[in-house]
Amino acid sequence: MQCDFCDSKATVFFTQIIDGNSKKTNLCDACAASQGVTDPEGFLLPSIDFPVSGSKSEVKDDLPEAPPAPVMDGKTCCPDCGFAFDDLKKTGRLGCSGCYQFFREEIKHNLAGMHKGTSHTGRVPEGMVEAFQTRQRLEALNKEMDDAVSAEDYEKAAQLRDQISQIEEKLLTPDT
Amino acid sequence: MMRFSTLLKHAADWMTGADADSAIVLTSRIRLARNVVGAPFPGWARKQERTELLGSLRETIESLPNMKEAFSQELSALSSVQKQVLVERHLISREQAARGEGSATVVNRSQTLSVMINEEDHLRLQSIRSGLHLREAYDLIASVDMELEQKLPYAFDHELGYLTACPTNLGTGLRASAMLHLPGLVISDHIGQVIQAVGKLGLAVRGIFGEGTESLGHLFQISNQSTLGESEDDIINRLERVIKKVRDHERNARLKLIEDDPQMVADKIARAYGLLKYAYVIDSKEALTHLSLIRLGSDMECFPNETIQLCDTLLMDIEPAHLQHQAGRKLSPEERDTNRAKIIRDRLHSLPIPDIGFIN
Repeated sequence: MQCDFCDSKATVFFTQIIDGNSKKTNLCDACAASQGVTDPEGFLLPSIDFPVSGSKSEVKDDLPEAPPAPVMDGKTCCPDCGFAFDDLKKTGRLGCSGCYQFFREEIKHNLAGMHKGTSHTGRVPEGMVEAFQTRQRLEALNKEMDDAVSAEDYEKAAQLRDQISQIEEKLLTPDT
Repeated sequence: MMRFSTLLKHAADWMTGADADSAIVLTSRIRLARNVVGAPFPGWARKQERTELLGSLRETIESLPNMKEAFSQELSALSSVQKQVLVERHLISREQAARGEGSATVVNRSQTLSVMINEEDHLRLQSIRSGLHLREAYDLIASVDMELEQKLPYAFDHELGYLTACPTNLGTGLRASAMLHLPGLVISDHIGQVIQAVGKLGLAVRGIFGEGTESLGHLFQISNQSTLGESEDDIINRLERVIKKVRDHERNARLKLIEDDPQMVADKIARAYGLLKYAYVIDSKEALTHLSLIRLGSDMECFPNETIQLCDTLLMDIEPAHLQHQAGRKLSPEERDTNRAKIIRDRLHSLPIPDIGFIN
């Protein structure tokens, strides 16, 4: 994957969720540093400049997927709280809620034997319900699209793709 | 604000088996784990971070309408015996009792609702009810949860649900459990099968006192293990269904014991009665084993109706910290055994000799 800021290979995948809207940025090491993504202080900035819009609209995986955690001092640590993922094995606990963003894939990998499922189907805090429903709708549409492609119904797949990108467009547009 | 002594003076309804139907299912408990965003989990936070967060969380919890005139105390302000008493009353966890600075507990007046602040998670909301009433316990907790989500920025993820310090609590953050008295299944040697069957359904069974299947006092806890991928309703309904099944099995085991070997059952109950009524030194294990038989005997109408409540109150009052709290000082294990025997003798003083109606 290419860096969103220059032509180098992206090594840092940054996902921000602001008011339930997710925003993904792919960066190379140098740009990550200059944008303050790997700096624990700068990381808390409300938003980083998003250089391109729409040009890389991926239909799938609207939501955070596998953002590998930034590496500090050769150790994989949560930039929010400095918790090292390796410590989870020792303590069985994580450092903060942010750890789930940074170690998402690693954690998900461990969830299968632990729970009935791997995604939440229970109560959602008020105010987050809409975003939650949108996400579920996106998932359903994506699945429908995959099915349509498998069935070689490309017309339907294209329609679904348009629907999905419309919803995603709305998600990425900050509230007015 | 309620004082520690007031809290202890009045046992909650759920502790004394006020529910008519608590002969087998003593209590139902619901616990929710919640955290706020932007603060490290208590186990990873620095002392200062933890203390600061405690201040604001405690204020929010105390301001809840449900927590009017509540008992609210920082753990560091309690003695080790006091902490242990709260553990024995199931108002705080063993884990929280081990914590010092930056952790607090808030308990409502009727002791049906308690909130642990900075235990393993920022908040652990807990509700207990007498008998099999998981739904009611959940409804109370859910209403408190909804009030809190207006005031606190909960850590929530659209995929993983409520985020918790330990991934085993992700999703709903809900742990539902019930305490069951299963002497029939233990005596008839069917408890192993039941535990295995319940385990296969993804639920956990463990003894309340002691280890393994030979749980002291024949008391067991059944709880859900999975918190993610199922809704709150699904978790509670499934657990309730299984508990009802186990309750039926226990009922049948009791009936079958009386049918197959009434002399043996009568002997056990009457011996327990004699022993508890006339012992001068009794350790926990012996006391729990025999109280369990008195409890069983009450259900078999060998004793007056209110004897079950008497047993449930005793179960708590003869635990080590309760004995020491009552004595007002630390007691050696030997002193505890004599104090325990005295309390039991006193309480059972007016209990009539067992009326073994099932042997004609």
